[in-house]
Amino acid sequence: MRSYGYGGNILRIDLTERKYSVEDLSPSWIRPVIGGRAANTKRLYEELDTDCDPLGPDNILIFGIGPLTGSLLTASAYYTVTAKSPLTGILGDSAAGGQFGAEMKLTGFDQVIITGKADTLIYLMITDSGVEFVDCPEYSGKIIIEVTDAIRQEQNDYAIQIAAVGPAGENLVLFSSIVSSGNRVNGRAGMGAVMGSKNLKAVAVRGSCSLDVADPLAFLSEVEKIDKAILSHSEYQKRYQLGTTMLMKDLNNIGILPTRHFQQGVCEYVDEISGQKLANTYKVKNKSCFNCNVHCSRYYVVDDQEAEGPEFETLCSFTSRLGSSDLPFALEMNRYLNQVGMDSISTSEVIGWIMECQEKGLIHPDDLDGLSLSWGEKEKIREVVDMIAFRRGIGDRLANGAKKLSEEFSEEARKLVMHVKGLDVICGDPRGIKAYGLTYAIASRGADHLRAEPYFELTNRKKEAKKRFGTEKAADRLSEEGKAALVSYSEKIALLTDSLTMCKNVGLCMDVLNFENASSLLRYGTGIDYSPDYLKKILADLINLDHKLNKKFGVKRKDDTLPERFQKEPLTEGPTKGSTVDIQKMVKEYYEIHNWEE
Amino acid sequence: MIRVDINKCTGCKKCETICAFFRSGKINHRLARIKVLNLYEIGVDGPVACIQCKEQYCLCCPDDAIRIGSLGQLIVSPTSCSLCSACEKACPIGAIDIFNDFVYVCDLCGGKPRCVGVCTEGAISFEPEVKEHLSLAAFKKETKKMNPSQKRQYYLKKISSEVRKRWRHQNA
Repeated sequence: MRSYGYGGNILRIDLTERKYSVEDLSPSWIRPVIGGRAANTKRLYEELDTDCDPLGPDNILIFGIGPLTGSLLTASAYYTVTAKSPLTGILGDSAAGGQFGAEMKLTGFDQVIITGKADTLIYLMITDSGVEFVDCPEYSGKIIIEVTDAIRQEQNDYAIQIAAVGPAGENLVLFSSIVSSGNRVNGRAGMGAVMGSKNLKAVAVRGSCSLDVADPLAFLSEVEKIDKAILSHSEYQKRYQLGTTMLMKDLNNIGILPTRHFQQGVCEYVDEISGQKLANTYKVKNKSCFNCNVHCSRYYVVDDQEAEGPEFETLCSFTSRLGSSDLPFALEMNRYLNQVGMDSISTSEVIGWIMECQEKGLIHPDDLDGLSLSWGEKEKIREVVDMIAFRRGIGDRLANGAKKLSEEFSEEARKLVMHVKGLDVICGDPRGIKAYGLTYAIASRGADHLRAEPYFELTNRKKEAKKRFGTEKAADRLSEEGKAALVSYSEKIALLTDSLTMCKNVGLCMDVLNFENASSLLRYGTGIDYSPDYLKKILADLINLDHKLNKKFGVKRKDDTLPERFQKEPLTEGPTKGSTVDIQKMVKEYYEIHNWEE
Repeated sequence: MIRVDINKCTGCKKCETICAFFRSGKINHRLARIKVLNLYEIGVDGPVACIQCKEQYCLCCPDDAIRIGSLGQLIVSPTSCSLCSACEKACPIGAIDIFNDFVYVCDLCGGKPRCVGVCTEGAISFEPEVKEHLSLAAFKKETKKMNPSQKRQYYLKKISSEVRKRWRHQNA
């Protein structure tokens, strides 16, 4: 059943039985969840046995898009993959842009729900007429770009979009990723391992259904307003030229660029690894996700190497965070990680944690089969990353992630793992961005900024802060005051962008999406009435749902915290010198706003 | 004709999306007359649309349903067309695509191509008067047995080799 905006169908695939079925998307089910991430979470809440083995056939892997995915709405390119995370054992999901979501829309399926396990390596060819289960044992161990190309050739169709896992996913590396469109990555929480555990190498989509919007001209006029706001935004030029890599210098300037595994917030050689250096030296052109005006990604060529990317997280993860000043090396790692399919943040964390522990004498090389690692040692990093991807030698233990590995070591060493709820902390030191610190602590998938992306605290808009959050301090990055209110607001906008499947860099950081225009976009797009107040209500309900689901997974109030370092050890130099995070104060306020039991 | 600068294309598909939307009110790149490919393995993105080739292979139409307009654009008469797909087969670069009983080919929107207006990158431009029509004879032989999607891929890959060389030169 097709309706405006939505494809109107749910596709269920049982890999064990090699069967699929199609269900109507129920209007009363979808209205209060909109689509995208929220709809996936709801599905998981309703259907998953939370005690299941995340790498067993009972785990549910969901690909989901929203009503406006692939529409004329700028940057509406995202799709979300959701499952129980094998890395953290709790709610896991990860979104990516590129072209996959827009193509999935044309198949008419809003959600693809995958269960079971195939008896041999297969890929799924999903079109509007159904699913083909294609055996592909010959793709075993193949890197992602080769699989993408091979499937397109095999199907004689170059408009097919493919989300695939590499060797790391097949080898069940607990932080392995799914990659589509060459370099758009569902990186976090080990969604690649869930796919690998199901013997599923790739999901290919090719559609021919049209996406109809309820009121095309009114919808277009809302979109044009958003486009105008984007193109006239004060950060537009910078984002166009550097994309997220602009953060290398921006974070360094405020003293929060993770350096040598968060021991410093200022990197003395930032100019050698900055987004500017990358753009001026190796970038050959801009790249874009579906229907975006910002074109913030980039293609680079270094000698015989070329690829799209890296985004800031990968760039920082393989430069300052590991004490390396070698930009071409980070570019090499970007390509490598996106070919074997492994999350750059978690990969960097396990390596950086060992480096710091060995520097401090907390871990002896003998405890790690002779592995010794020190800052910036690129040959060793290269080798150990490869061992992790293929679970070779000591790589087999590292492939379980820093937190699980740390359980074999002393308390002092365990404390140095930078994680929340088992998910490794992103590249941004929360001691100098307190709202982000709160976000890491409360984010339902573990240490992560995207659940709220409270970029507002970096914009210095004091008057606006007073108006929106009751205190000017909400715009002061070093203050804890007003941050629970800020995060409680921006987590709703973040969930809204995730449900409309819009990019957060555009929707949130550029502050172009709000309840009012989202209400209009949804009304003109789907023909369904979503008032701003109704949106606020359902988004609050959905945030409660995340919380309830994680309770079922056994998450407790005490897990909403930050690593001890951020609470007790101040940074010793730079613009964030002397600052620590009073996380308990902020979490308490945040719980009060949500009426959650302490 | 629509002139394409592959070096500037980021692969956003705005041109393709807006083409389908303004001609059909729907969002569906199957209904577009300009087709964007993302060739991830070589980093090349680019739209393929009718380039008004010297040979005019599509005029082989047995129904006489295709004529050339004043801007050099193809005009297909839906009433004369019998959907025999001779034109689709004849085009060496996959610029003609038949989908759901309709022939999709760029007709320059009658002189104001929508795709050009939405490209923020200047990767596509409109040339009302074409001085020299390019030959597609070299492609004709190579792409004979391919479907339109394969032809577009082959064409884009071929014409992007210079751009890729330049990338290497630029960063050497």
